Order: sequence, then C-alpha cells, then structure tokens
Amino acid sequence: MTAELIDLRPALAVVISLACAGAVFAARENARWRAIWSLSAAGVKFALVWSMLPGALGGAVYSFRVGEVLPGVAFGFRVDALGLFFALVSSTLWVLTTVYALAYMRKSHSLSRFFGYFALCISTTVGIAFAENLFTLFVFYELLTVCTYPLIMHNEDLAARRAGRKYLVYTLSGGGLILAGMAMVYASSGTLSLAQAGILDASAGGATLLVIFVLLIAGFGVKAALMPLHAWLPAAMVAPTPVSALLHAVAVVKAGVFGIIRVIYDVFGADLLRQLGYTDWLAVLAGAVIIIASVKALRQRHIKARLAWSTISQLSYIVLAASLLAPLGTLAAIIHIANQAFSKITMFFVAGVIERGTGKTRVDELAGVGRQMPWTMAAFTLASLSFIGVPLTAGFVTKWYLSLGALQGGREVFVGVMVVSGLLNAAYWLPMVYQAFFRPMPADRKAPAGVSPMMVGPVLICAAYIILLGAGASAPAMPFSLAEAAARFAIELKASVE
Amino acid sequence: MTHWPHWLPLVAALPMVGGVLTPLLFRSRPSLAWAWAVSIASVTTLASSALLLTLVGSGPFSYAVGGWLPDYGIELQFDPVSALISPVCIIGLLSLIFSRRYVERSIDPKKVSFFYALVLVNLGGLNGFMMTGDLFNMFVFMEIFSVSAYALVATAREPIAALAAFKYLLMGALSSLLVLFSAGVVFAMTGTLNIADAASRMDVAGPMPAALALAALATGFAVKAALFPVHFWLPDAHAAAPAPVSAILSALVVKAGVVGMLRTLELFAGAEQLLQPLLTSLVWLGALGALGGALMALVQRDIKLMLAYSTVANIGYIFIGLGLATASAATGAMAHTLNHAVIKSALFLAAGAIIHRTGLRHIDDLRGLARRMPVTSFAMAFALVSLSGVPPMAGFVGKWQIAVGALQAGRPAVLAVMIIAGLIVLAFSVRVINALYFRPPSRISVASATEVPLSMLLPIAILTAGCLGLGMTGQPVLEFVAPVIKNLYGAVP
Amino acid sequence: MSGILPNWLLPGLAVALPVTGSLVIFRAGHWKHRMTGLAVTGTVLLVTLALTVIMAVTVADGNRIDLVLFPLLPPWPVAFRVDAMGAVFAMTVAGLFALAMMHAVGYLPDDRRQWRFHGFLLASLGCLIGVALAANLLTLLLFYEVFSLLAYPLIVHERKPEAFNAALKYLVYILSGGALVFTGIVLVQHIAGSGTFVAGGMLPDGASDPALIVAWAALMTGFGVKAALMPLHGWVPDVHPAAPSPFSAVLSGVMVAAGVFAILRVLFEIFGAGLLQRLGVLPWLAAFAGFAVIAGAMRAVAEDDLKRRLAYSTISQMAYVSLAASLASQTALAGALVHIVHHAFFKGGLFLCAGLIIATTGVRRISRMRGLGRRMPWTAGTLTLLALAMIGVPPLSGFTGKWVLGSGMAQAGGYAHLAIILAGSLLAALYLWPVVYRIWQTAEEPGPDCGEIPDRKPRQDNRWMLTAVLATGLITILLGLAPRLPGFPLELAETAARTLLGSPAWK
Repeated sequence: MTAELIDLRPALAVVISLACAGAVFAARENARWRAIWSLSAAGVKFALVWSMLPGALGGAVYSFRVGEVLPGVAFGFRVDALGLFFALVSSTLWVLTTVYALAYMRKSHSLSRFFGYFALCISTTVGIAFAENLFTLFVFYELLTVCTYPLIMHNEDLAARRAGRKYLVYTLSGGGLILAGMAMVYASSGTLSLAQAGILDASAGGATLLVIFVLLIAGFGVKAALMPLHAWLPAAMVAPTPVSALLHAVAVVKAGVFGIIRVIYDVFGADLLRQLGYTDWLAVLAGAVIIIASVKALRQRHIKARLAWSTISQLSYIVLAASLLAPLGTLAAIIHIANQAFSKITMFFVAGVIERGTGKTRVDELAGVGRQMPWTMAAFTLASLSFIGVPLTAGFVTKWYLSLGALQGGREVFVGVMVVSGLLNAAYWLPMVYQAFFRPMPADRKAPAGVSPMMVGPVLICAAYIILLGAGASAPAMPFSLAEAAARFAIELKASVE
Repeated sequence: MTHWPHWLPLVAALPMVGGVLTPLLFRSRPSLAWAWAVSIASVTTLASSALLLTLVGSGPFSYAVGGWLPDYGIELQFDPVSALISPVCIIGLLSLIFSRRYVERSIDPKKVSFFYALVLVNLGGLNGFMMTGDLFNMFVFMEIFSVSAYALVATAREPIAALAAFKYLLMGALSSLLVLFSAGVVFAMTGTLNIADAASRMDVAGPMPAALALAALATGFAVKAALFPVHFWLPDAHAAAPAPVSAILSALVVKAGVVGMLRTLELFAGAEQLLQPLLTSLVWLGALGALGGALMALVQRDIKLMLAYSTVANIGYIFIGLGLATASAATGAMAHTLNHAVIKSALFLAAGAIIHRTGLRHIDDLRGLARRMPVTSFAMAFALVSLSGVPPMAGFVGKWQIAVGALQAGRPAVLAVMIIAGLIVLAFSVRVINALYFRPPSRISVASATEVPLSMLLPIAILTAGCLGLGMTGQPVLEFVAPVIKNLYGAVP
Repeated sequence: MSGILPNWLLPGLAVALPVTGSLVIFRAGHWKHRMTGLAVTGTVLLVTLALTVIMAVTVADGNRIDLVLFPLLPPWPVAFRVDAMGAVFAMTVAGLFALAMMHAVGYLPDDRRQWRFHGFLLASLGCLIGVALAANLLTLLLFYEVFSLLAYPLIVHERKPEAFNAALKYLVYILSGGALVFTGIVLVQHIAGSGTFVAGGMLPDGASDPALIVAWAALMTGFGVKAALMPLHGWVPDVHPAAPSPFSAVLSGVMVAAGVFAILRVLFEIFGAGLLQRLGVLPWLAAFAGFAVIAGAMRAVAEDDLKRRLAYSTISQMAYVSLAASLASQTALAGALVHIVHHAFFKGGLFLCAGLIIATTGVRRISRMRGLGRRMPWTAGTLTLLALAMIGVPPLSGFTGKWVLGSGMAQAGGYAHLAIILAGSLLAALYLWPVVYRIWQTAEEPGPDCGEIPDRKPRQDNRWMLTAVLATGLITILLGLAPRLPGFPLELAETAARTLLGSPAWK
C-alpha cells in the first residue's frame, strides 16, 4: 500500500542544522556570518522538508537507515505522514523564529552559543519527527533536552539557573521513564519499530502493558506538560522570548505530544488500546488538564506566564484528541500540532515585540498598546480568536474535529470540555485585547522604541497562517491533507470524514 | 605475519621487560624515559591489534609457552575476553602520552623514570593476566599488576597518596591470598590449574571444597574489581593517584577484576547449584554498588573522588549484568567493561588536564573554565553525558543490554535501579557542566588558564571520540563477545 | 433581472462587497474630504441593497440561487443559498443598515473615529447578509460568530462606561450562546453527517431521540441568546440603550431578528415540522415564547427610559415569531416572517427617533418629553406614526403582519397563541401610547418641559438624522399600503413559509 523509498533527504534535513550549528559556533563573534549560516540552513531545511510533501501526499514513505546499533534496534529515519507533518510545522516555524531571534537578541551576549544550540535544537526536533523507531526517537529526544538547556540558561542569572535546573530534573527524569518503558517494550516484543500500527500485543500481560503505558506516557508527558508533570514550563518563562517560542510552539512541547501520539498509535496501536481501555483514563486526565490549566491562566498577571499556562491547556487538547481513538479525533490531534504552534508562536512573538517596544510585561500594563502597535495587536487578537475557536481561524478546525471525534468515540462529555475551554480562553484573552484597543494610553507612555520589522514580519506571517490554516484547510497540498493521511494511517478510517 | 604465534607472549613480556629497563637506562633523562615508554607501548599496541585481527579472522587460539603440552606447560590463550588487551594497550599508550607534561608538575623528577617503568610493568601484567588460561599464571600476573598499581598510587606527591596506597595494598594482599588459596583448592580437586581443563573436571569433586574455592576466588576478584562492599579502597586510591594513573586504575585495573570474575564463572560453569547463589549475590551487590556509588558520587565536591565513586557504580552495573545470566545482560556487561574503560579514562585525563593547568580539583572552583579551556571542558562534558548513558554514546549500549536482560530474566526492579542510578549520574554531570559553562570564574587560576598542550589534548580527544564511536558501534561489539556466553553459564538461558 | 449579472454571483457579491468596503472605509480617515468617505460608504450600501432586492425578486416565485464557495472543513463548504426567507431578510437588513448609516452620519462627531464605526458597520452588514443567505449550519455559524464579535466595537464606540459594562455582559452572553450553538452543530453533524439546510428538515429518521433533543435544546438556547428569548435576554436591556443610536436601531431591528431567523432555519430546515412534532418539543418553545411576549411587554410598560422601553419591546415583539413558529403552520409562519420585516423598520425607526431626540435635547426619559411635539414636529410625528404601526393600526405595516399572523394561528387552532398575541398587542399599546401622549402634551400642564432646552447639535447635522427618520416612516406606510406587490415582503414570506413547511401534511 505504501511505497517505502530509500532517500537521503530525511538524514540530510537533520544533518543540515548540525552543520549550521558547527558553522555558527565557528563564526564566534561575527554577527553577519552567524545570520547567514542560520538563515541559509533554515531555508535549505525548509526546502528539503517541503520537497518531500508531494511524495508523502501520494502515499510514499521515505526511509534511510544508518545502521543497527543494538541487536534488533536500528538507528534510522522513516518519514511517514505524521512525521512529515511535524517536521513541516517545525521547519516552517524555525525560519520565522530565526528571523525573529536575530532581531530580538541583537544586543544580547553569547550569541554564537545561542544560535548554535538553536540550530541543534531544530536538528534534533526533525530527528524526532523522522525517527524510524523508538530508540532513534529517544536519542533525539534526549539530545533535544541537552540542546535546549543552554538556551534556557542563556541569561545566566539566578532565575535562569533555577529554571534550568527544574527543566533538567523534569525532562531527564522523563527520559529515564521513557528508557524504562522502551526497555520493557523491547523485552516484550523484540522490536522498537514505529512503522507498524502497534508492536505490542495482549500476550504481554495486563500488568506489563499497564506499566509500559504509564512509563511511556509519563515520560513523554513531561515534555508535553501533562499535569502534574508540567511545572518546568511556567518556570522556563525566564528564557528569552525566541527560546520560549521555540519551547512552546515549535520543538520541545510538540516533541512530547508527538511522542504520545506515537506511543498510542504506533507502539500500542488503537485496537489494543481499545481493548485495554487505558486511553479512557488518559482522556479524562487530559480533559481535566485543559480546564485546570485554563483556570490557572486566568490568574496569571504576567503575559508570558499566561501564555505558558495556555500552552499547557492546549497541549492537552492534543492528548485528549489522540486518546479518543476515533478517526476524527486523531485528525484533530495531528492538525492541532500545527494550529496550536502557529497561534501560540504569534502570541509569543507579540509578547516579545511589546516587551522590546514598550518594556511592558504584565497583562494590566497593556492599556493603549493597540494604538501604538495596531498590526501587532491585531495579530494577537487573531491568535486569541483562534484559541477561542472562532470559525475561519485555525483553532476552530481543531475544536470542530475534536468535538466530532469525541462524538464519534462515544465520549460526548468532551464536547462540553471543548466548549467550556473556549469560553475560558475568551475570559483570559479578550480582556487583553480590550485593554490594548479600548483603553486609553496612560500619559507617561513613550512612543515605542524602534521595533525591527524583522520582528514584526514573523508576527504577521504567523498570523496570516492562522487564517490560512483555518480557512484553507482543505486546499490540496495544504498540510491538512497530510494530517488526514497521517490519521488514516494511524487508525483505520472506517467512517469516512463525511 | 599476523599469525606469528609468538606475538602472544610478547604482548605481556615486552612491556614488562621494557619497564624494568627504563630506570636503568633513563633515570636522569625523564623525557627520554617518556619516549622509550611510549615506543614500547606503541609496539605492544600494534601487536595487540594484530592479535585482535587474528581473533576476528580465525577465532580463538592458544599458544603453549616453550612448546610444552597443556597439561604440563603454561598455556596462553586468546579468546574474545582477551581481546580486551587491545583497548588496554591503547588506553595505556594514551595515558603515557598524556603523562609527559603531567609528570612535570606532579611527580618528583628523580622518580619519573620509575613512574614510567611502573606503568609499563602494570600494562604488561594486565595483558598477561587477560590472556592466560591458567590459574597460577593468573595469580602471578595479578600480583605483578597489583604491586605496580600500589606503587603507582604512591608516586603522587600528595600526602594522602601514601595512605591510600597502603590501604590498596592491604586489600590487594588479601585478595591475592584468596586467589592463591583458591588455586590450591582447585588443583587439589581437579589436578590441574588450567581453567578449561579444571572446568571439565569439576563435577567429580565434592561440593564443599568447590564451594570454598568458588567463594574465595570470587571474593578475591571482587575486591580487585571494587565490588560493593569490598570497594572502599578504590575512592581514595583513585583520587590520590596522579591523573594518568587514575585513568589506568579505573579504566583498566579494576576491569582485570571483572575479567577474573569472568574466568571464575568459566571455571565453575558446570556447577550450577554453586553458581546460582553467586550469581544472585552478584546482582544484589552490583545493584547496591550502583546505587551507592552513584549517591556517593553525587555528594562529592572533589572531581576525582566523584569520578572514583562513579567507577564503583559502573562496576556495579557490570556485575549486575554478569549476575543476571541472560545472553543480553552478559554481553552488555562485557560491552560495558570496554565502554566504561574508554569513558572513564577520558574523564580522568580531562580532570588531570584541568588540575595540571589550574591546580584546582573542587567543582565549585572550576566555574567558568569552559571559556578558557574549551576543548578540555567539552571533552569532560561529552564524556560525562556519555557516562550517564545517553544514547547514542558509549555508556548507553551496555546499560541497555543489561536492562533488557533484566526484564527477560523477570527482574524489573533492576531496571528501576539502573534508571535511578543513571539519573543520579546525570545529576552530578549536570552540576559539573553547569559549573564549567554557565558560571563566571571564581578563581584567578581559572580566569588565567589556557588550554593544555597537544600531548595532553590529543589523548583526551581520541578517547572522547571513542565515547561516541563505541556508542555507534555497539552492535558489532556485542556480537563479538557473544560466543563467550556459553562458556560462562553452561547452558545459555 | 439576471441579465446583468449571473445569478450565482449575487449572494457572493452581497456579502463580499460590504466586507471589502469596510476595509477600504477604515482608511477613510486619511482621505482629504469627508464626503469621499461618505460617498463610498453610501455607494456600497446602496449597491448591496440593490443586490438584495434583485435577489428577492428573482426568488419571489420559488426559485433558488445556490453558490458554493470553498470547503471550509471537508466536506462542509462555505455556501450560500438564496431562498425566499433568506432574501427577504437580507433585503430588510440592507435597508435598515442604509438608514442607520444615514443616521450615523449626523449622529457621530466628525472625527477620525467615525470611520471605524462605518467600517465595522459595513462589515457587520456583510456578515448579517451572510447569515441570511447561509446554505448550511457551518456557514451560518461562521458569519454569526464574526458578526457577534464585530458588534463589540460598535457597542462601545462612544466610550461611555455604561457601554463597556453592557458590552461585557453582551460578550459573556453571546459567547456562551455561541458555545451552545457550536455544541448543537457538532451534534447535528455527528447525527446527520451534514449540516446543509433542507426545506422540511434533513435529520435522518433513525436517529436517537435523546441525541436529537439535546441537539435541539443546545441550538435553541444558543440562538435564543441572540434572539433574546427569555430568560436568555439579559443583555438586551443594557446593550440596546448603551450603544450609539444608529447601532441600537440595528441591534433591535435586525440583530435580534437574526437570532430568530437562525431559530427558524434550525426548526424547519434542520429538524423539520414532522420531526419536531414527534419529539414533542414545540410546546416548550411556545411556553418560553409566550412568556417572553407578555413579560417583555410588561417590563416595557414599567420603564421610563425610552430606549430601555423600546428594548423590552423588541424582546416581546420578536417572541411573536418564535410563538408562531411553534405552531408549525404555514400562514402563521408567513405572518411571522413578515412581522420580522416590519418590526425591523418600525423598531429601527423608533430607535432612530430616540437617537435624534437624545442628540438634540439630551432627554432620555419619557416623563421629561413633554412638549417635544412642538419642538421637533417631524420627529415627533414620525414617532407617532411608527408607534401606531407597531400597535397594529391599519393601514400601516404592523397591521398586515399581525393580521396574517393572527389568522394563521386561528387556522392552526392555536387559540392560546392567538390570545397571547392579542394580549401582547394590547400591552404594546399600553407602553407606546403614553409616549405619544406625552410628546404631544401642551405646556399648560405642570411638569418638566423640554421645549426650552437648547439644541445640543447644530441643525444641519440633524438633517441627516431627520431624513433617516422620515424615510423609515415612509417605508412603514408603503409596506402597509401595498403588501402584495411583487417582491414585497408578504409575498416572499408566503413563498418562504410554503417552502419551509413543504410537507403536505401541514398547512
């Protein structure tokens, strides 16, 4: 059914940012070369990943095996629809984040370290996306942790160290859990391949399967900020804004939910989990997280803290959708990887622009910002609408399919969760929009300091994407069709999307 | 040329002879002594590589010294376990290269030639130990490398070195006695000292003497290998010794204890009811050692002590693997023997470089060093990450195999122990990395440090590269050692 | 009239034109002359109105125009379908917006911000037309939600504190309602696999009753918030008075009606009369609607603030439509539809009058409006006219609607319904007559007199507002005199009702 083609591109896509990182480290203090390397690598990677799209839409699967590292455990890449989707989102956003970061970080220190590790992060993210098996995924997953650490620690002050420590404790422990789960999977089934719809079967025994499930979900759940494993995420807000954007939208958290999706559909398989019923509990947990995290977001006074808690809530949308084990739910989970990414990154970019332009970082300091920066705040408003779930925005597409998936899976209560969450989102985003546009500026507000167009540009492009993803979902060759393909492979789409 | 059988004893004899000659020839010229030692070691390394190639090409082989038949003469043999000689020689060589600059500061110039002599003799002893198939020879070579090791520890200038060496000597003497005693019992039981022969004759003997012999032998080698609870000589010894010596000790000498334990298992392979309690205790003690070593490492502030306790932990892993008695666990243990050797030697040499340049050993004093000594710091960071067992680096391969073996043997608790220990290792690794990279310097000697010269940097770099390389080539190594399993446990589980 | 443009272009243009126009108008603040901006706005409005009229005429005899745009969420397209009901509503909307805009020109001060108002107003027009012409639930939801959000800046345009409070209340209500609508739509999609409106209902026979009832309740409640169906009406009395008068007119005239419109679509083109009968939900609708008619009217009687009185009146009057719908009778439904149209103009007109009064004299309370008749004769006259129309005095428009409505109810045997309608009309008289009386009262009686209050605005600005007011009055007369002209609301309404209740088992 699917054609497996040996192709160098998956490996190339990973390697290119490795090379870029090396070049950036070597470029030392030379800002121009740093920018050149970063941007050209971003562009090349973008092109590489997108070049695989037509083939993937046609059902081709690109693979590239490096070699067997341990008996039965290989190190290699395999680009299926789900992986390509994740890589598409990441590589697209990396270009935009790089542009933004070059402007935002201009006056900061240790820039070659920053951009070098920046490139390494995206390299490992694409490695996660293209991993052929759990082992390869784990390697890149841990490397991602290692490479994001210097970015979080960038400011090198006490807050950064605390945040970095917390981050490491959580993510490395999560890594330990994944390792344990992985070992058990291997011992039980002899393989770690992600190319089949489930490599475990019921013969392993209920206790073993439960332990594996808990270990793997908890392990990946750390990066996916699944409560109660989420505490690192709000703490990591001390990092510079491009890092937050990377963490929350592009790489780290998405790697976590990606891992969870892989575990549910490629390690266990939908059929087995339907028998076992573990995902029912996961769905309930995710539903609770969605609500609780939104309520906590309401109480945050710092913009970035509010964004952090919103991320925690939104990530559980993906977990919930994946746990429904219904075709439309899976579709919603996959598509929300993109929708959440673009919407949240827009907001982070805007927060950064506001911070650079006016120095304001608190929610109640936004009065009149809409007048000073109309386009930027308009983008923010659009992103808010996306999270609330207004039609024509990306967030609506997720809300729609998640609700339908909930009904399809017989779990109607989650439609209610979606609805309530939309209202909660309105409760904490709209006041910010209101403050910005409908409140007069305080008298002591200065004109915004020069905010580079390189920062505003990505804001607008991402905002445009929100509409594009929301309105153009079914244009051919749009990622939506890819998500559909992924969902189809992930779970037998018996009921068509009619 | 590579089939020249005489290369086998050469690998042991050459370093020993060369070592003995060193102080005679070069007492007053330290740099010539260095060159001499390096050349001897290089030749030995080449020879050992040739032996390895032969092994890969045509399988295990043996050599009868003096042409006497096995029953009467000394037989040397080269099986996959002996193949460890090759990395031993390489690491020894690299440590020697490293020593050139290092000894300028840390050892009295008059003693430098003795230092090199001891290193070479130690190397020869290790090689000999690993390729002998005879209990008495094992004892002899063990004495050789042990005594040279005690002396090497004592060469350090620090006041604590003498005490540490003395402690080491005491424990070592005890273990030697036990081994000798066991050899005697085995001879009495089976009439031969050749391991293969004795193994085949073992079941005619009664259980009591066999149990005694087994216990003595196992304990003796356990001391040598620093298995919990007889490990306590190790931290002080390794921390007090000069850095290249620490590397050799942690990387190589304790591994000889492991090899000894492997031979023990071979010897008693037929006696299942005797082996069972041994294996179980190995698992337990290994687990305790792994956790205890990791925890002790975590609370250390001196970098060499930290690394020394980490060795205890890793030895624990290896013994867990041996004790689990499944194919994957055992192969993992053997692979980890090799991998840990490379990693730990890289770490000790890097630590040595730092101490050489700054004179500082305390982790908090090392803050901000990464800017001044980028290569060394990177090597240390890289090797630490490898030590924690992050794939795709060397530390992961063995641990993974052992973990899988644990699950296959139905002992998931072991998996938990390994994960926890791994996380603890990560914790102190991060502490070091943090200090090196993300803190401003707090000591003048750090702020004014420069990178070490090439002769020190090159061995570090090679070993660090090995950390990654061995990680990627885990599969071939595992396949390589697989045939040994059937000798160890009788039936392969 | 389809010779000029292909039919299918009409709905698309009718929506796209105001929306694009609004984007242009937002920049009008940078243009040199105010007249340019006004001209553009005016042109857009008139063209849109013309388009809606053309569409109305085209579908008057039962034709339909379909236009399918892109699929928003596969397989649901954004699609338009111009049928009689949609066309008549679209026409009403366009007409009222034109009047409101005219009023706004005079009402708003001439500054940069007026273009924001006009821009949002145009965009809202496009959205409401989109609601009217939506061919499926998703398109309806899309335009409905966008319109709901666009209303916010319009409500708070004058930056008065009470406007912000009211708008917040509005937002809470409307978003909650939107959430319920979303739930209902998702349920329909799940049950039926589609959300396209089909006259007579499209839900499959085998669907489970509980699921259907839940979906029905969700949709009714959700749309009921906007339709101000009691007890979901809480936002109306605060918002309609607090908004700027031109927008109040729109709010009361067509926005609430949009909610009712959506309810009608759901009732008859998703569920269908037969299914509704089977589920037994119609009596519930009747109960709430009936309650709203009476309670709304009674609250209106009690209010002294003119705009609040009118707001409560809207609640009451719009409930007439829901009440009629609950009978599922063709004639009653036709009467209800026609009532929507008429109500839009006379209620809208009343708000425009109120706006003019407040702008000129600053007087909001009815008790202080004595002597207004002498002061502003034309305004007062039109107000009287519109009030009479609303009470239902022939030959004004209100009468026609009520007559058809009443006779339809009688035909269908809904005597209780009829009684409620009559009571409502009586109460309407009760709350409108005192207004008329007060403004024509002479100065000899004791009490405050607004004849001496100086003008608050220069006379020439009032010209725009006055023209709008007078136009409303004229339309009301026209609609009343010639209801049966082709393309006029009554005929369209009858066609619509026939289509909606297409099953022959129902009259």
